[in-house]
Amino acid sequence: MSAFTREFHTVDGVKTAVFTAGRGEPLVFFHGAGTLDGFDFAESWTDRFRVIAPQHPGFGESGDDPSFTDLHDYVMHYLELFDVLKLDTFNLVGLSLGGNIAARFASEHRHRVRKLALIAPAGVIDPRHPALDILALPGEELPGLLVSNFDVLKKRLPEKPDLDFIGDRYREATTVARLLWEHPADPKFMRYLHRITMPTLIVWGEEDKIVPVQQAETWRRLVPNAEVRTFKGAGHLVHLEKPEAVEAVAKFLG
Amino acid sequence: MSAALRFNAMHFMPYVHFPPNHKDYKSVWVNFPNKYYDPKKGSQLYQRYLKELVLADQLGYDALVVNEHHNTVYSMMAAPNLIAAALIPQTSHARICVWGTPPNLMLPNRLAEEYAILDVLSNGRLEVAFPLGTGMEYWAHPVNPATARDKFRESLKIILQAWTEDGPTTHYGTHYTYRFLNPWPRPYQKPHPPCYIVGTGSPETIEIAAELGFGYASVFVPQTRARELNQSLRERAAHHGHTIRPDQLPLLTFAYVAESQERAEQECTEHLRFFFEDLLRTTPQYLAPPGYLSVEQLKMRAALADKLHGGFDLKAISTAFFIAVGTPEKVANQIGGWAEWMGTNHINTVMHFGDMPHWKTVKNLTLFAEEVIPRLRSGARAAGAVAAG
Repeated sequence: MSAFTREFHTVDGVKTAVFTAGRGEPLVFFHGAGTLDGFDFAESWTDRFRVIAPQHPGFGESGDDPSFTDLHDYVMHYLELFDVLKLDTFNLVGLSLGGNIAARFASEHRHRVRKLALIAPAGVIDPRHPALDILALPGEELPGLLVSNFDVLKKRLPEKPDLDFIGDRYREATTVARLLWEHPADPKFMRYLHRITMPTLIVWGEEDKIVPVQQAETWRRLVPNAEVRTFKGAGHLVHLEKPEAVEAVAKFLG
Repeated sequence: MSAALRFNAMHFMPYVHFPPNHKDYKSVWVNFPNKYYDPKKGSQLYQRYLKELVLADQLGYDALVVNEHHNTVYSMMAAPNLIAAALIPQTSHARICVWGTPPNLMLPNRLAEEYAILDVLSNGRLEVAFPLGTGMEYWAHPVNPATARDKFRESLKIILQAWTEDGPTTHYGTHYTYRFLNPWPRPYQKPHPPCYIVGTGSPETIEIAAELGFGYASVFVPQTRARELNQSLRERAAHHGHTIRPDQLPLLTFAYVAESQERAEQECTEHLRFFFEDLLRTTPQYLAPPGYLSVEQLKMRAALADKLHGGFDLKAISTAFFIAVGTPEKVANQIGGWAEWMGTNHINTVMHFGDMPHWKTVKNLTLFAEEVIPRLRSGARAAGAVAAG
């Protein structure tokens, strides 16, 4: 995390942690349904881009807002944050649940997004290749399902049971439950993906056990200018497992 | 206090016919396969358990208590109002306590109606307790645990409005909209049946009871914590302008009475073990779905050695919870001491637990009614009996 500077902004009353590093065209990164993976993977982007990585309300060092019960609340939150940061147009990258938020943002505010990259994005409903319902999983089983090579995640997990770690994960799961407990996927989400008209890259790990890589085909079909890159030997957290996937995003945006 | 002592017989009505491989399952709640339920055996158990509660009425217990759980062998009362409806025509004087249906699992107007029906059917014998519902219930229902407390509060408001205000009224809330809140029938008791909240001591839930002036029944919390919760309810209720009476603080106890200490332990230990080790066996995930607890409560509970779900030691469990096993004299002394120490005159006792057979349940119900209750009512328990600690 050393390359990043952390600052806090109050956005509509919600304390929002924003990690920033690098110089160049702005690149906004939306993390997924947890903050365990960190932002250090994005350091390789900082020589070409000004990377702006906020933590969503209810995650990491950002504050809670129990009134956020819908993913669209995050779109509104980021409209406000980008006003505060005076960001007009930018590249947008979203991972997993953050990919869903990024796709919503891009479909509603397409003039703001130069190029879009989605890493294993959540939200497509494909009965033949359903996403795993992470809320139904025992917490201890989740880490093993996130990656193909467990070593990349192991160093981020406590060696012994750690109450603060348990509490942090429970808080983030609470945030996700507020959004997804009744409806793990929004049946209307796919309805508006055709509005994402900017150049779009879809990145996926081929051994993704959370959101199956086969869903990439649906994204390619629904998003007019989408290309797909998949990576062998990587699971859901392809950005941790495959530096070449991270590089592919940078090349595409550059 | 002794003259006003009140005694409830509580029953969980468990399904006790476990498959031989049940220990392979980490939980007998939520996802324990229902292929193991045999309706023929279930039918026999219902007949038997109902008989036991009817006997309790005949033996003079003041109240019969049933409750609700889902997806589990722990209780066969997924719909306790149906059990209460079966008990009402078979009983004459005992109060019928449904402690109770989590309002979040039912439409509030429907729950207000069902309770009113039971109250009218029983000529005003109904008492209700409102639980938030265990974490396990939220895995079994399409109800969000992260917004459960807020919804619970709104449900209670609707139910009380339905009972106390002449309809039709309206309710426009966060979770529910009622354009015509006007349930028929209305409760027999005025303004409504006695109400409690039942729970495991989350401060958020205590606060709701305090605001409404409801009683609070803590369940499965250690003795010292249970006492703190009673104190906390009195203080918070006073803050909201309510005075909590001793009878509003039901004390959950388990009791087994026999001719001697040895006999009592010998006869009941295996059933207590079955209750704590097997019927309550579940996982931390099921106990606390995301958002069901505040992060502080989750950390607090994770830090405590889990005495409840999954391990058993008679001595440890008897000192942690209110479990009285022994001669009538000993059981009377213990329960009397606990009641004083807890500031209550309302004793809610589980008389059948685990896989206890019918004959032991009958023996226990009878000895408790004939040997323990009179001792406590006459104030005959040994002076200076040691209170809980």
